[in-house]
Amino acid sequence: MRLPIQINEQSAEPLYHQIEVQLRALIVSGQLEEGTLLPSIRELAQSVKCSVITVKRVYSDLEGEGLLRTRQGTGTYVAKVGEQERDRHKYASVIEALEQALMAGKRMQCTEEEMKELFEESLRQHYKQGGEA
Amino acid sequence: MGAWEEETAIRFAGISQRKPNFKLGPITLDIPKGYITAIVGPNGSGKSTLFRMALDLEKPSEGTVTLLGEPVGQGDDVEVKQKIGFLPEETLPHEDKLTAREKANFNSFWYKDWDVNRYQDLLLSLQVNDNLQLGKMSKGMRRKCEFALALSHAPELLLLDEPSSGLDPLAWKTMIEILHRYMEPGNRTILMTSHIVEEVKRLADFIVFMAQGRVLGVYEKDELFSSWFTFFVSGDGLTAQKAASMPGGSGVEPAGNATYRITTGKAFEAEQWCEANGLQIVGRQALELDEIMSTLLQQESIGRR
Repeated sequence: MRLPIQINEQSAEPLYHQIEVQLRALIVSGQLEEGTLLPSIRELAQSVKCSVITVKRVYSDLEGEGLLRTRQGTGTYVAKVGEQERDRHKYASVIEALEQALMAGKRMQCTEEEMKELFEESLRQHYKQGGEA
Repeated sequence: MGAWEEETAIRFAGISQRKPNFKLGPITLDIPKGYITAIVGPNGSGKSTLFRMALDLEKPSEGTVTLLGEPVGQGDDVEVKQKIGFLPEETLPHEDKLTAREKANFNSFWYKDWDVNRYQDLLLSLQVNDNLQLGKMSKGMRRKCEFALALSHAPELLLLDEPSSGLDPLAWKTMIEILHRYMEPGNRTILMTSHIVEEVKRLADFIVFMAQGRVLGVYEKDELFSSWFTFFVSGDGLTAQKAASMPGGSGVEPAGNATYRITTGKAFEAEQWCEANGLQIVGRQALELDEIMSTLLQQESIGRR
């Protein structure tokens, strides 16, 4: 199986983190259902062109979070994600993305007012006018 | 992971060799089991010599080589060589008159794990016919046959010296897929050399840089690529001297108004340094493998002057 994971080589974000965030989102959003067999470590490494060390780290992190489970000899599966946990993860990833955006704003020396305006403009674009994004 | 990860497939311990026109070593290098390690470096940096030493085709004047737990060059190595597949860079002229099929028959006699079905499968996926003399084949065709021959006894350890030389893009892609599939069981090891950036990127887990008979460094691939960036840094009153003090920085170039282009091998620290010094990163670009190599080589020659 091919996972829809895309890597940005030009990003400052470490590769394992890019993969981890995307895989977590696929699981938490329910796009990957409980019991789905994930690609082997070597397969995923091949498809995103990273080393197996990186994929091992991602799988073991997500296993630690209870999102994946590995059965010796058969592979890595999507674990059962409870409703509460799903919500927690859902918000956690959104909060993280918002913080990234705020940090970018700070780097560009935007004021609090400017950030509020930008945020509201984005809200309008994505939620009120049909919300096609 | 733990212990499994630390297992070593090949250990070069303090090896060196002197020839009239070449000095190798001293080199100490562990090739981890279960991974693909690619050695990259300019021509004549000693890559093929390392391979030959691992196979006892050449002896180091000092130091020892351990291969799959067995010391190399001490007695009977028939057992251990059963577990190795070797694809040398140069073809062997005395095999020119053999057809690939005859060579396969010869191999099947010596390798007890020779798997004729596997051999046929490989020929099929590489789309080659083995009923032709090796010396009469095109370079790419012979390469494909030799590649299939090196893999058909399902070796634990594969030594590939410039495996893709002469292959067309389609055959190249097939080879990459075959090698990934070969690694699937998790306990196999590949040590390879390559001049092709994309090949190293797609295959390697670890990268070893070699130049002038020495190892410049061993890196986990993703860590290597995430550490090397060229930044465009800007800030009030930023001078070239200040820019040059960026962690890991080298090759500072002016790039307009109080802006400098700096290449660093410590991207993470460099970014923190910029933040701490109130500097803005206005542009960034990841380095390609060849660019990293040439920067490393430059730093080396500066360091040794």
